[in-house]
Amino acid sequence: MNSLASRLLLAATLCSMAILLIAGFTLSSTYRDLVERGFDARLGVYLRALVGDLSRDGEFEKLVFTVGEPRFEIPLSGWYWQISKRLQDREPEIRSSSSLFDRDLPFLIDSDPEKDMSATREAYTQGPDDEALRQVERVVQIGDARYVVAVAGPTGEIDAETHAFDTALTTTFILLGISLVSTAALQVGFGLRPLTRISRAIADIRAGRAERLEGNVPREIAPLARELNGLLDSNREIVARARTQAGNLAHALKTPLSVIVNEAHASPGSMADKVVQQVDIMRQQIDHHLDRARISAGVAVVGAATEVGPVVEGIARVIEKVQADRKIAIEVTSEPVSFRGDQQDLEEMVGNLLDNAGKWASRRISVRIQSDRRSAQDHWVRITVDDDGPGLTPEQRESALKRGKRLDETKPGSGLGLSIVADLVRIYGGLLTLGSAPLGGLRAELRLPAI
Amino acid sequence: MRILVVEDDPDLNRQLVTSLGNAGYAVDHALDGEEGHYLGENEPYDAVILDIGLPKMDGLRVLESWRKAGRDFPVLILTARDRWGDKVQGFDAGADDYVAKPFHMEEILARLRALVRRAAGHSKSDLVCGPVHLDTRSGRVLVDGNQIRLTSHEYRLLSYLMHHQGRVVSRTELVEHLYDQDFDRDSNTVEVFVGRVRKKLGVDVIQTVRGLGYVLGPPEPAARA
Repeated sequence: MNSLASRLLLAATLCSMAILLIAGFTLSSTYRDLVERGFDARLGVYLRALVGDLSRDGEFEKLVFTVGEPRFEIPLSGWYWQISKRLQDREPEIRSSSSLFDRDLPFLIDSDPEKDMSATREAYTQGPDDEALRQVERVVQIGDARYVVAVAGPTGEIDAETHAFDTALTTTFILLGISLVSTAALQVGFGLRPLTRISRAIADIRAGRAERLEGNVPREIAPLARELNGLLDSNREIVARARTQAGNLAHALKTPLSVIVNEAHASPGSMADKVVQQVDIMRQQIDHHLDRARISAGVAVVGAATEVGPVVEGIARVIEKVQADRKIAIEVTSEPVSFRGDQQDLEEMVGNLLDNAGKWASRRISVRIQSDRRSAQDHWVRITVDDDGPGLTPEQRESALKRGKRLDETKPGSGLGLSIVADLVRIYGGLLTLGSAPLGGLRAELRLPAI
Repeated sequence: MRILVVEDDPDLNRQLVTSLGNAGYAVDHALDGEEGHYLGENEPYDAVILDIGLPKMDGLRVLESWRKAGRDFPVLILTARDRWGDKVQGFDAGADDYVAKPFHMEEILARLRALVRRAAGHSKSDLVCGPVHLDTRSGRVLVDGNQIRLTSHEYRLLSYLMHHQGRVVSRTELVEHLYDQDFDRDSNTVEVFVGRVRKKLGVDVIQTVRGLGYVLGPPEPAARA
């Protein structure tokens, strides 16, 4: 039972079922009471007629009883009356309707002698033909004699009427139950819709399309949203701090390393050679792990967007200045588009590609930034870096993307450049391809998520 | 050639100063941003080596302030933070080249040579004036293919004139660019050095412009004969 919706729905269903059941039983028994009372009233009319006849003068055996209902004359019709005269210490004398033949009705007074003598008794009894009867009975005292007058009719009428009512009631209540439950389902769906919206917003944050939980949050879950935003903020802060600290550590180590390596150079010897060699390894390790740290931290940073054009142009300016002696012209054509990710990461990727192009190009580098939008979700930025250098063979291209590979040891650089680019690209779900450029050299193409 | 080194690590600063001195440069040094900024504003340097992470005044701010004040000497920045973003920032602030720490001193020297040469408008490391060749990379001077031996002060003088050949260089300018700030400046020594260099070269490439200074150019065919 892990869904709020099914919990709410189950509770609503159980409650409305219980209420409907109780209401149904109450209504049904009340209606049955009413029908019984109506039937009893009819029997009471006959009873009063019999009592009227009984109160006339004359011998009990000879009295004529007229009820005015022919069914009392039809044998075993279900409609019966019976009067028994009881005197002290004498066998009771009985008169009854001809419908009874020689049978008799049970006397309610015998089974319930404690009740007030003057009251009318009503009960369900069994008739001579084993049929179910409704019987009313009164005790009349005339002189010394006590008469017990009973009239009975078949319960069929009561049953038929209550059954008809129960059927209608059940149908109505089932329909009512169904509509109550479906109303509850609608309410639950409507009431829980903000939750769906929030889970979508969180998915957006995870995918980097949003930075925080924004928008109208219902009061009940506002604290949750606030806490979530706080968590996001502190997460960002931790990542930023980790980066800064990693940078600080690197900075702190690199100056002493410079001092050591220069000192070693100043006093040549086998020890100095070893020191220089080891410092080189240390520098590579620092760079390598800094990059790793950055890359693993990069994924945690959500909701970043970086305009591509200015980043590429800034790096192009750097390369042009660094390669000033060789007078390499870098031409940047760009469409306005933003990369969905961190600026530093974009700078690393573009920087390494342009740096490579700058080292190998003979005069020209051409960079093209294109927005490749297929739909709102399927939007990419494509950065193509072409140079007019010697280019690479297909085998060289393949091995260039592998870790730490350097194709030419004569050009400066750690050799990690392209593999770092490949790693970053992978993290962003992009694509790095190497090919040959129309200018004659290498073409490197980056495909990265855009926003 | 006169160089300013701004680096807050005293050991690294000393190493740079020593190496540059050995390579034939006149070197001033500063250990923090403020001092470096002051020196760069007031002294005519041929190039500056500037660390980015400096106490008192950040290296990038120092650089920006120089450029705003119109100081256009080439600046080589030293940085431990060699992210591309840092490089872009450095170059946009007015740097001409960068070297990431830790570095080998040869790299600094090579970059510096290239910067000085480029700033004077030369694209090759081999400077030529008539029969005189000066290879900035090896520090060798050849006249008609024969190597000439020069002392470091003589080399500095010739190198400066070779970098700025065809332009009149005053005695004061020579003094300012050949000696660091602690040197006891006496423009008469310049005349002595010019005389010695002329004698060693044996060709008449350094002319005296009366009342203005010296100009270096290919020798007149008549004078040569």
